[in-house]
Amino acid sequence: MTEMYIPKEVIRIRDYIKSMKIRGAGTIARAGAKALAIAAEKYVGNELSKFMKYMECIANYIRSARPTAVSLPNAIMYVMNRLRKSDAKSVEEARRIVIESANEFIDYSLKAIKIIGELGARRIEHGDVIMTHCHSTAALSVIITAYRQGKVSKVFVKETRPKMQGLITAKVLANEGLDVILIPDSAVRYYMRRADKVVVGADTIAANGAVVNKIGTSMVALAAKEARVRVYVAAESYKFSPLTLIGELVPIEIRNPTEIVSSEWLRENPGVEVFNPVFDVTPPEYIDAIITERGIIPPQAAILILMEEYGLSIKEIAKLSNETEVKIDEDYG
Amino acid sequence: MKCNEIARFTSELCMKLRKGKILSSTEATLVVLDTIMRASKACNDYFNDYLSEWLPKILHSRPASQLLINSLRQFLHHYILIARQKGISKVLSNVRRIIQDIKDSINREINSIALAASKRIIDDDVILTHSYSKTLVEVFRRARNDGIKFSVYVTESRPVGEGLITASTLAKLGIKTTLVIDSAVRYVMKRITKVFIGAEAIATNGAVVSKVGTSAIALAAKEARVRVYVAASTRKFSFETVFGELIEDIILGKAYILTSKEQLKGLNSKIRAEAPLYDVTPPEYIDAIITEVGLLAPQAIPILIKDMYGWPPKITKMDELINEVRNLD
Repeated sequence: MTEMYIPKEVIRIRDYIKSMKIRGAGTIARAGAKALAIAAEKYVGNELSKFMKYMECIANYIRSARPTAVSLPNAIMYVMNRLRKSDAKSVEEARRIVIESANEFIDYSLKAIKIIGELGARRIEHGDVIMTHCHSTAALSVIITAYRQGKVSKVFVKETRPKMQGLITAKVLANEGLDVILIPDSAVRYYMRRADKVVVGADTIAANGAVVNKIGTSMVALAAKEARVRVYVAAESYKFSPLTLIGELVPIEIRNPTEIVSSEWLRENPGVEVFNPVFDVTPPEYIDAIITERGIIPPQAAILILMEEYGLSIKEIAKLSNETEVKIDEDYG
Repeated sequence: MKCNEIARFTSELCMKLRKGKILSSTEATLVVLDTIMRASKACNDYFNDYLSEWLPKILHSRPASQLLINSLRQFLHHYILIARQKGISKVLSNVRRIIQDIKDSINREINSIALAASKRIIDDDVILTHSYSKTLVEVFRRARNDGIKFSVYVTESRPVGEGLITASTLAKLGIKTTLVIDSAVRYVMKRITKVFIGAEAIATNGAVVSKVGTSAIALAAKEARVRVYVAASTRKFSFETVFGELIEDIILGKAYILTSKEQLKGLNSKIRAEAPLYDVTPPEYIDAIITEVGLLAPQAIPILIKDMYGWPPKITKMDELINEVRNLD
């Protein structure tokens, strides 16, 4: 394609995602879908094959904003698969499919959090003490819905170093009226025997049901298993990663040491390396259930969600993944 | 220094102990012993009053530190014995020697442990350690001086964050050191070949009381089949637990221990912060306890106690000893 016009609204959305002005898995996914709809709307021309090419280019362009976040490519795939599989005869028809699918995705995603809250709350029993880690809208939806039903007695919130997202979670829960106990991450095993259930969110869920989430989640899950405390993961279905179906590993982002120690400390201690992985992987056997808007599933059924979500067979997903470059992190935490 | 000044100093010391400001239990014990020695000079005739007033407070400020309890017990035994034999006036001049003997023993024990433990470190070992332990720094220093090439991962060790001091100390010894947050222990565990931790107290069943986070590390190590070694002298054995005593928890309860006042702004009263200083690691997660008399399985602790002190161990309770001091005349 020699010349491609990218609408400036689309450019702006991509920039916002890249600079993290737009953040949070769900918000990013909805913004990506919206950008596709805008692009389709703004397209000028009558040749269907050119429109299809144009949309693929736009899709790649938006996707590249944050290539490792699974919700964005999944939102794009949701829309693009419906376009690719359609038998649209004209640009007009194809455009309508893109806009409709994008809106469908956005509605879907907004409803998902509410449904997850309702389904998840059914798993919470009267008087339960819950432990949670980091800040997850889906997990909060479960805890708050259950609290409104009078079930939750208190919540242990882990501070979640280095960025202390536990404070955000504590604030949201306390504003709802919940009793919150903020604890250091090191105290996870100490307090686990006083907890009845663990509810956490997810960044990405692999085909085998392994959950990639904020660093420390796998330690929480291990301590919970030891104490026979149930672990629930709350996640929208677009957090399931299709590429893991063909054995790709989920890349783990390593961030700056200054999130943990000050730059003065680093200067004074040049001999100390500071290792700051952001996510870890919780194996499926430590998870009792994943709460999605499509129902509560055992982690081993993750593959079914994936196949259904994208209306694809394993063969098709394998073919797709050949066309996408994936960074592989050897260090599968 | 006058007696009331040393009393004020002791009061501040208690506060520091209570908040976990003095990191290693060995260092805490050495500071307490030095303070008592200075008090014996400053308070003179009132030294017994000082002891009976301040020892309970000191003990209550770091109740989990068995090294402190047992070292003070040893001091009181000797002190009372000499006072009975030679009289109060004579015993005061002996305090320095009694305390020096105890300090020498503590240092000898650390050296023996460092010798035994450093032999467990081999080339290419990747060790994980937690918190700050004076004994472990000695272990690593010796292994380094023996020319062994190993590296150490150190956890930040919240809520106090003393892992930074350990990391800094080890790096300055020329040991390859990596700092990670407490949440990352399971992530890094499969890179680790051995876990080394220190202890506040060892219960009769071999359970280890140590800085909070230790038990999670031991659990993650067990899951990954990584061996866990505890470096602790027999002075850290808790004889009281033979009789079913529990070791008291210390829970810090102020939110600012977890975060800056800045970040706390706008948090409502429904939020409470809690941070225990210690936790208990069950014996089944520990491969060996390295003491000055050698390397032991945690299950062998009662046998060693029996060998050293008889069974049940003949110990006098601290409050009984303090009462005896009160009645010395």
